[in-house]
Amino acid sequence: MRSATRLLIWIVVALALVLAPLGLPPFAMTLLTEAVILGLFAMSLDLMFGYTRLVSFGHAAAYGFGAYACGWMLLHTGMPLLFAVFAAGLLTGFIAIGVGWMCTLATGVSFSMLTLAFAQLLYAISFKWTSVTGGSDGLAGIPRTIGPFGFAALSSKIGFYYLALGCLVGGFLVCSALVRSPFGAVLRGIRENEGKTTALGYNTRLYKIAVVAVSYGLGGLAGALYAPFAGFANTELLFWLLSGQVLIMVIVGGAGTLIGPVLGAAFFMLMEHQLSALTEAWALYFGLIFIAFVLFAPEGIWGLATTRLRRAAPRP
Amino acid sequence: MSTLALLLTQFVNALSQAALLFFLGVGLTLIFGLMRIVNFAHGALYMLGAFVGYSLSSWSGNYWLALAGAPVLVGLFGAAFEFSILRRLYRRDAHAFLMVTFGLALVVGEAVRLIWGSDALQVPAPPLLSGVIFLLDEPFPVYRLFLAATGAVVAVAIWQFLERSRLGLLIRATSQNADMANALGVDIKLIRSCVFGIGCGLAALGGVLAAPLVTASNGMAATVIIDAFVIVIIGGMGSFLGSLIGALLIGFVQVFGNYYAPDFALAFMYLVMLAVLVVRPGGLLGKEA
Repeated sequence: MRSATRLLIWIVVALALVLAPLGLPPFAMTLLTEAVILGLFAMSLDLMFGYTRLVSFGHAAAYGFGAYACGWMLLHTGMPLLFAVFAAGLLTGFIAIGVGWMCTLATGVSFSMLTLAFAQLLYAISFKWTSVTGGSDGLAGIPRTIGPFGFAALSSKIGFYYLALGCLVGGFLVCSALVRSPFGAVLRGIRENEGKTTALGYNTRLYKIAVVAVSYGLGGLAGALYAPFAGFANTELLFWLLSGQVLIMVIVGGAGTLIGPVLGAAFFMLMEHQLSALTEAWALYFGLIFIAFVLFAPEGIWGLATTRLRRAAPRP
Repeated sequence: MSTLALLLTQFVNALSQAALLFFLGVGLTLIFGLMRIVNFAHGALYMLGAFVGYSLSSWSGNYWLALAGAPVLVGLFGAAFEFSILRRLYRRDAHAFLMVTFGLALVVGEAVRLIWGSDALQVPAPPLLSGVIFLLDEPFPVYRLFLAATGAVVAVAIWQFLERSRLGLLIRATSQNADMANALGVDIKLIRSCVFGIGCGLAALGGVLAAPLVTASNGMAATVIIDAFVIVIIGGMGSFLGSLIGALLIGFVQVFGNYYAPDFALAFMYLVMLAVLVVRPGGLLGKEA
């Protein structure tokens, strides 16, 4: 009975997301696309934070790097959109192997701070390496090049939404397969007790580097989608504030659930948008809502929703 | 300008910069050492200190009153926040604190904008400190010299406070082993409120002292919090001496970097941090890896 309701909810959500462009005004589509992109970003962090308890405090590095890489390729090489997006994501993941190798020298808070240091280093570079990054102006006027193999539909507003949605769903499938595999079991082992996992004969460092690479790669993919979506990439995308925000999205949504962080990102976007329309001082209420969340709903939105469902369902 | 005079003025400049950074870093490290909290709102409280200082000095016309009053007020605010909200979270995961203090940073930042507006506000230095003196025949602002001296005085005062006073002893005991201290009859809840208040007060002191130099503005929180993190990480989370060393190191890197290689100054700071962490993951004087 329960799995049937669950399936039904999934189908309704999937249909709603696929059919959204038919019913929503263009303005709402823009918001939804951004929420989907941010959702992918938050989900990528959940792999590290929720499943492995590796608190990346510099996840903006992945997002910003992906955005700059994709933007640069689209601006200067005439690569088609689809290729540039995936190439940027892959490149981010590949470079993250090195970052992961360095950051996993440390554990705990020091690990977080090393990731932060890398992100801030990129931020500093993006400011100064003007010839490539455009300095404080960033990269502007990033085109959605169609390329020789068609896919023209992807460059339109609605087509781009489907591209982003496809990436989110693909990312979700990859992540959920990953966390259910033996690999995911080792990650959870690291989360619960790294010493014990090492004692069982696993080289935890390698697993951690791998999860950093996958997580940063997906984060880079999200950033790579953002650059052609917004048409620009600027230093804000590498700033620590974004790293903090995405961590909050994961926690508000519910860490370690993959879906939760996506909801958290959507919630974050919606709140920011609704509150800023209502009041000048939106950040004030925003902050108060966060504090209330920590105090009264520590398991996040997804946790709240699933406990409600479980309570509503008749006991077997 | 002779090379020697240049070096001397840059040296004193770096000391004054280090003093400002130290006020931030030491509060952060004290709070972390005692409660294992990374206080995200530290930059916002620094900013709050600058604005409260502005109001006090324009209301009374006396900078010294602002200098004494703002840290006390912000410190009380911090203690009240710990008492009302943070206290409920000690049994929870560390990320609960991250989120709550992030929320506090947003709230304080926005409240400051609502109360004082978004324009940068000029806080005049007192007449006694607004002139210049000559170091090896080069003019140098007295205020920066005053900052460096204040930094030294406060550093010694905190050190003596931690080493010699009864409260300092209790703070050290609680950071070493909170459960044991509690079992021996120390009211660790009170200690935590005190330390959080003191840490916030020190951040505000930094804000008030920085205000005549850089004006009080809405942007000052976001840039400074990362500097403070960097210092604390370099020195080792929870180490008082570490935060002093970190502040000096970063102060010198910033000032000399800005002078000799302005394009790389920002990157230098993070490179220093990376280098330290790769060699010693727990920071220079940190215990845990």
